[in-house]
Amino acid sequence: MSSNEVVVVTWGRGGEAFAGEVDDILTLGRGVAAATGGALNWLTLGPVSDTIRQTAGTYGVANIDHIEDAKLAEFSADATVAALAQYCEQHSPRVVLIAQGFDVRLVAPRLAAKVRAGVVMNAAAVEVDGGGKLSVTASAYGGDTRAVYEIAGERACVVSVLANAVLPEAADAATTPAVRDFAVDLAAVDERIQVLEKPKAEGPRLDAAEIIVSGGRGLGDAANYKLIEELAEALGGLPGASRPIVDDGWVDSSHQVGLTGTITRPGLYLAAGISGASQHMAGCSAAKTIVAINTDSDASIFRYARFGVIGDCLEILPELIRAAKS
Amino acid sequence: MRIVVCVKEVLDPDAVNNYALAGRLEIGDDGKSLTQAAIPRLMNGFDEQALEAALRIKDTGVECSITVVSAGPAPGDILKHAAALGADEVASIEVDPAALDAHVIASLLAGYIRTTGGADLVLCGRQASDDDQGVVPALVGEMLDLPIVTIARAVESGDGGWRVTRVTPDGDEVVAVTGGAVVTISNELGDPRYPTAASKIKARRVKPTVVAVSDLGLSADDSEPRVAFTKQFVPTIQGNCEFISGDSPAELADRLIARLREDSVI
Ligand SMILES: Cc1cc2nc3c(=O)[nH]c(=O)nc-3n(C[C@H](O)[C@H](O)[C@H](O)COP(=O)(O)OP(=O)(O)OC[C@H]3O[C@@H](n4cnc5c(N)ncnc54)[C@H](O)[C@@H]3O)c2cc1C
Repeated sequence: MSSNEVVVVTWGRGGEAFAGEVDDILTLGRGVAAATGGALNWLTLGPVSDTIRQTAGTYGVANIDHIEDAKLAEFSADATVAALAQYCEQHSPRVVLIAQGFDVRLVAPRLAAKVRAGVVMNAAAVEVDGGGKLSVTASAYGGDTRAVYEIAGERACVVSVLANAVLPEAADAATTPAVRDFAVDLAAVDERIQVLEKPKAEGPRLDAAEIIVSGGRGLGDAANYKLIEELAEALGGLPGASRPIVDDGWVDSSHQVGLTGTITRPGLYLAAGISGASQHMAGCSAAKTIVAINTDSDASIFRYARFGVIGDCLEILPELIRAAKS
Repeated sequence: MRIVVCVKEVLDPDAVNNYALAGRLEIGDDGKSLTQAAIPRLMNGFDEQALEAALRIKDTGVECSITVVSAGPAPGDILKHAAALGADEVASIEVDPAALDAHVIASLLAGYIRTTGGADLVLCGRQASDDDQGVVPALVGEMLDLPIVTIARAVESGDGGWRVTRVTPDGDEVVAVTGGAVVTISNELGDPRYPTAASKIKARRVKPTVVAVSDLGLSADDSEPRVAFTKQFVPTIQGNCEFISGDSPAELADRLIARLREDSVI
């Protein structure tokens, strides 16, 4: 049995980093809570900053639930899942909303298994009908289709939500959320996965870039990827790539944009020699402005692009580098 | 040592993409299945790479047997393909997937592993290319109480467990687990091998072990779906592309940059 509460869960990156990253999911949560008739709460694993308080108030959050524990100081899947499961057992939320990310792909289904809830990833919408029936619309086939899942009976559901699934919208009336501390007992949790080598994060991350210039198979040859790097640099952005050129070893996989690469949301996404397959667009369609350069005027990428250039990217990229520098 | 690889049969995602690009992707009368009967069915790409990861472990000289198991409709050629690639045993849990969800599928796979002697390593693809959900491996891990390592590009045996290289947004991470584990494989593992002509011919005679659901010792809760897949539709994309015109690459570039500056995009 679950209550009709809706909880948005965030963790692990201090207070400030949440600004602007939770607005969409809180907006979604408020709508779902209105439909279930329950409260919208925000559970955060980590300190409650002023930004969190302010953001929560703006989006109509009733309570900020707060868990802090030494075992959660650095991300540990076992500790995170245990803490969330203890919270869910006590509060029995009907819907748990988490913004999809690398660790969430693991945490969401594990949490669902622990609390015997349903789980849906890649969610774009959550609906509650008049009878209280909950359904989640998720992207499938890389984005070629949308699948709708109905949650059985009164069961709870853990929903991992895609970035930009909803447009942020402040609540009509701001709230002053109460902060409630929730004590967890993680004494029995002993992380089973031992990290031998940490990732060596080099430079800024693609998912935080304001400008991304990406290349695909249309570049023809690995050596031509330097045109992508040069244009990215000239525009003050980062270079990205489609999956085939990562699979072929032209560039490192940290550059891959898409369903199974990085999900980006830059101001400008320039795609050269990329066809615009749904699995690629899953990682960049949230960009404010997409520019496409492609020899094929029927290429799918032009359906998503704001500006299009029909032509050979090997001829146009050098000219763009020149023009961007001028 | 026993390695179990879980595989799913899917519609060829490239063919689905081509239908989608041509605007010809259609949903049937049931409101949820794709109608294109001509689309070939094959082993989910990431699952094939999970099998490849198992074969690479065997290649290094680790004494192990590889079992490939699939829960779903009567499997077509995917289990024969697995046998041709070098699986020691292939097993099929025949169920109607339309009535099941990830929880029940995971219960079946976990039940199979539990009742057939367990596994030192369970390998799965990171997600299926049809529903893109990627939750079954984590559910199986929870049911078997095994640690779950996601999105790996390499798995090696070592120190009484496994050493796994994960592909994270910050670069590669190397982790170790002691004892058994569930590991999900990503495309960064690299291309899977092809079966030889001889192994293909041999595999034609391979009969999968057919597993009866009633033998898996599932509880009522194990068999109770949490969610029901009720509908599928093709989203519409509203294009509004402004094509830049020009007589030369230089002119096209100048006009595009000017246009982006005008809109304060750069
Ligand atoms: C489960 C799954 C997950 C996937 N995940 C991802 C993912 O995360 N990211 C991803 O990118 N893909 C992913 N894919 C692959 C995806 O389906 C496409 O195959 C891929 O995005 C195509 O890459 P591309 O556009 O570079 O190549 P192509 O589709 O081959 O397109 C090349 C384009 O370049 C154009 N071109 C050729 N020459 C020139 C030239 N000289 N100048 C300008 N244009 C030129 C062509 O007209 C064509 O449009 C995934 C696929 C599956 C099945």
